[in-house]
Amino acid sequence: MKAFGWKQVALTVAAFGFVALTLIAVGVMPGEAAMELVRGSMGTKNAWNETLKLTTPLLIAGLAVFIALRAGLFNIGAEGQLLVGGLCGTVVALNVEGVLGTVLACLAGLVAGGLWALPAGLIKAYRNGHEVITTIMLNNIAAALVAGLVAGPLRQEGMSTSTEVVAESTWLPSLYENVPFRLNIALVGALLLVWGVAVWIKRTVAGYELSATGANPKAAATAGVEVKRVTVRAMTVSGALSGLAGAVQVLAYEHNFYVGFSSGFGFDALGVALLAGGSPWGAIPSALLFGALSKGTTSIQVLGVPKGLSGILLGVIIIVFAAYRYRRVKSHD
Amino acid sequence: MTPVVRMSGVTHSFGALAALESVDFEVATGSVYALVGENGAGKTTLMRVLYGALRPDAGTIEVEGVERKWRSSADAIAHGIGMVSQHYSIIPELTCLQNLVLGAEGSFVIHGDAFRERATRLGSKMGFAFDWDAEASTLSPAGAQKLEIVKLLWRESKIMVLDEPTAMLSPADSDALYASLKQLASEGATVIVVTHRIPEVMQHCGRVTVLRGGVKVADRAVAETSAHELAELIVGHSVSRSPQGAADPGEPMLEVSGLVVKGERKDDALKGASFVVRSGEVVGLAGVDGNGQRELFHALVGTLPAAGGTVLLGGSDVTRVRSRDRFVRGVRLIPEDRHEEGVVEDWSLVDNAALGLQHVPPLINGVWADLARRQALALRVADRFKTKHQGLHRSMRSLSGGNQQRFVAARALELDPRVILAFQPTRGLDIDGTAQVYASLREAARGGAGVLVVSFDLDELLENCDRTIVIHAGRVHEPTPGQGHDRQAIGRLMVGAS
Amino acid sequence: MTDAWVWLLVVNTVTLSSPLVLAALGGLCSERSGVINIALEGLMLTAACVTATVGVVTGSALLGLAAGVGAAIVMSLLHALLTQAFSIDHIVSGMAINALAIGGTNFLAKSLADVSQEKAPVFDVKLYWALAIVAVVWIAFYLGRTRGGLHLTAVGNDPDKSRQMGLDPVKVRYLALVGTGVLAGLAGTLILSNAQSFSDGMTGGRGFIALAALILGGWRPWHALGACVLFGLFSALQIQLQGQPILGLDVPSDAWTALPYLVTIIALAGFLGRNRPPSGLGRP
Repeated sequence: MKAFGWKQVALTVAAFGFVALTLIAVGVMPGEAAMELVRGSMGTKNAWNETLKLTTPLLIAGLAVFIALRAGLFNIGAEGQLLVGGLCGTVVALNVEGVLGTVLACLAGLVAGGLWALPAGLIKAYRNGHEVITTIMLNNIAAALVAGLVAGPLRQEGMSTSTEVVAESTWLPSLYENVPFRLNIALVGALLLVWGVAVWIKRTVAGYELSATGANPKAAATAGVEVKRVTVRAMTVSGALSGLAGAVQVLAYEHNFYVGFSSGFGFDALGVALLAGGSPWGAIPSALLFGALSKGTTSIQVLGVPKGLSGILLGVIIIVFAAYRYRRVKSHD
Repeated sequence: MTPVVRMSGVTHSFGALAALESVDFEVATGSVYALVGENGAGKTTLMRVLYGALRPDAGTIEVEGVERKWRSSADAIAHGIGMVSQHYSIIPELTCLQNLVLGAEGSFVIHGDAFRERATRLGSKMGFAFDWDAEASTLSPAGAQKLEIVKLLWRESKIMVLDEPTAMLSPADSDALYASLKQLASEGATVIVVTHRIPEVMQHCGRVTVLRGGVKVADRAVAETSAHELAELIVGHSVSRSPQGAADPGEPMLEVSGLVVKGERKDDALKGASFVVRSGEVVGLAGVDGNGQRELFHALVGTLPAAGGTVLLGGSDVTRVRSRDRFVRGVRLIPEDRHEEGVVEDWSLVDNAALGLQHVPPLINGVWADLARRQALALRVADRFKTKHQGLHRSMRSLSGGNQQRFVAARALELDPRVILAFQPTRGLDIDGTAQVYASLREAARGGAGVLVVSFDLDELLENCDRTIVIHAGRVHEPTPGQGHDRQAIGRLMVGAS
Repeated sequence: MTDAWVWLLVVNTVTLSSPLVLAALGGLCSERSGVINIALEGLMLTAACVTATVGVVTGSALLGLAAGVGAAIVMSLLHALLTQAFSIDHIVSGMAINALAIGGTNFLAKSLADVSQEKAPVFDVKLYWALAIVAVVWIAFYLGRTRGGLHLTAVGNDPDKSRQMGLDPVKVRYLALVGTGVLAGLAGTLILSNAQSFSDGMTGGRGFIALAALILGGWRPWHALGACVLFGLFSALQIQLQGQPILGLDVPSDAWTALPYLVTIIALAGFLGRNRPPSGLGRP
């Protein structure tokens, strides 16, 4: 079996050729755009600060999606779970001060995100309803819910769609500062989380059963794995981590919740998880790439490139990567 | 007289594996023609070349004296060739009528009434009746086989290929099928049957071609050969039979009584099955496919709940014990379909070695998996039947089907098995591999385990098991004493006659 | 409630459900052939944007419509190419196409003439309403009574066995996805016709609602139509009841927004009857 064929190469060339052409169409040389992309995301202390800030939620949510994917589930609902987790974390942090507030807010994010994903897991396991559809629906419900709450009961005096700012004592601190660069403890926590997930998947029986369920659910069931339970558990854990990503985003960077709080982290997280490949460690470079792209495409707008470039790049990267990585081997009988 | 089909010098290989090497094959009309050989001898490959489903690397196909090159099956169908594959090509979600006409509708609009009329006419010609608007999922295996034959008639196939048509039929249904085929042949059709069942060839066919290892080794009129000669031609050497009857049954290891299990359609697939498997014995469970074998198997594994009755494992009740704990207590499996149930093809051999044993000590230590022991286990499993592999960390996919089956069978013998449940354990194995699997099951039985083998091939069970019991319509029957090896008596039980 | 109020409700329901009907039928073509399609949203958005752009540039409603539908067909065929020729997972491919569409339309609208500022020439929306009804009738007939429909169903249930019967599953799927492109494209141009000018993300998740309606309708055309009308009715009620208390309760508009999604989840949970998806869905 060859690793790839001419088809994949042709697709890659066509995809990046397409990106180059769109750039040329708006009068920007692709090389120039690439330079600006790198400069804007990694060229200065400020750029690095913003890139890492974006990388944190992408890494946690990407890990969340990774776990679901490992169990054979597409958690498209990371966005909704992240919103719900972020809002619940905010509510807790608004009411409890100090480190206790921080811990409880994180827990609230975990629980809220997990509960938000639970119906998708249950419907998949016991009703065979496709998780992609349920999580998309749950995303839309979450968006409507947080919009309603932020515009209504949780609204900050004088603002239309944002909550009060949480007490500074609950904020997650920076570990290292060299203004404007700040390294928040949240990123270090996210890296530890990667390690934890890697150990869980590789070295525990639960991780083994999770992977078995994703790789061949029928064989897993035959081997005594309780596939339905594993499915529900994987979806819930995935939702919990997405919710945590939302809570951490509040505690580390945003400090309040508002409509538009997530710039689609949950959707980019899918890309992060897909690009991570077979190992949770892969989520680190993958999240960094998406963080950098996200920051870079903002700064590239000064050249007159519309922000839509980030969507195009996301699509192209997923397509090219999937063409190599997720290519199903044709059945040989 | 020119033969209806003449294939000359047909060569085909899958990757590095040569499946057919310069095979010549000729068929004349008038009688049922048999193509025999072991699994992997190239029978199906040759027929798929004829049917246009595979393109040969070399060789020619002549139909009625004209050389043809098929671009796809559609071409072959258009020239009157029809093929019924072993697993049928009926799509259960479509109605019988839709299945019948699929790919041969003839007009843009489907005229239900006209189609139904012609379908009924073709069916009654063969003595078959169908509810044309019922979903095909309601058909029995025999009904599906009949529908396949009417499909051939609908397409006006003149050359009909049937691949292992009796694999899922009872002896009585098989005889009825051959009667239909002979009728078709006498009316001018050319009928080719691919089979590995020699008795059928001797009883029903006119001429036979034998393939072995992708090469044609013989071409005989059935009247001029014997079952013995065919067997030798097929295998190419004499086969050592596994030792048998040496078993001295001990304590009951598996006791099933009054077991009731719901099937997919919520009806009772098992209606109070009772039997015992003792330590030291290999018991065969014969039966026509679809009589509750799968449900029984899953209920014993613990993946389907029992609606009634009990299952005792080594004397203790496990009816309500979940699947993984049954593995811990010594249940081991050789599942039916290794691709779908037995292995994870994307995983390494090492990870596959633990599949089903993940909760069995010493592979588990608290919540942790013992990776060193898993590695050692994989080495033992691969060595037991000399599974050919290119490294334990390579993917299961890199193994051939037969080697995968060896691996799965070897795994079931690990970590002190007490009850081994084997579902069609020799599927995809050649005769040597089959002998090896039964020898090892025998060895496990000698070590004190009780072994239950489910198979649809009665002859294989009679040859290899200590005794054979029969499942029919959700109930298990024991042959009357003295008839345990009586093929006729067991065959009658399989169709519900006593 | 006055007659005028009811009449408005009917008009609003038709207006809001017609794009859903077209899109859901587009999804039906694809999914009945076995190709999971979460890219409907992207196809609609693409069609809306291209219709607006070409309409503004050429000043012709017809050219706009043709270009918009054409663009949706191209995107739909990309989905077919990725899933069939490259064997990429259907969900992954759908996501990628949505991302391309969101980014690409933003790119196009921003970079070429300020499309979003100008009103594009469009056809009367009643034309699309008629097309939607014709499409339902035609697809219901096609699926149940024609050779093509039988092939589509067969391939969607079991591509391998269909191939044995001499069908070409890949060809059937490519054709089905052309149908998806046409219908989802029409849905997109309809949304543009309602709004008259393009804005970022103007389809607002209606591709996903259409998909939900398709599932709620059990992948059957008339049932899907019913589900679309139901969803359209929810949205119409949301507009007309905004700010009015119902049974003494003040229902926020966000609750109305969430309602169709909630109904779909309840349906998927099996409380509204079980539906069977095509069994070959997602298979290579």
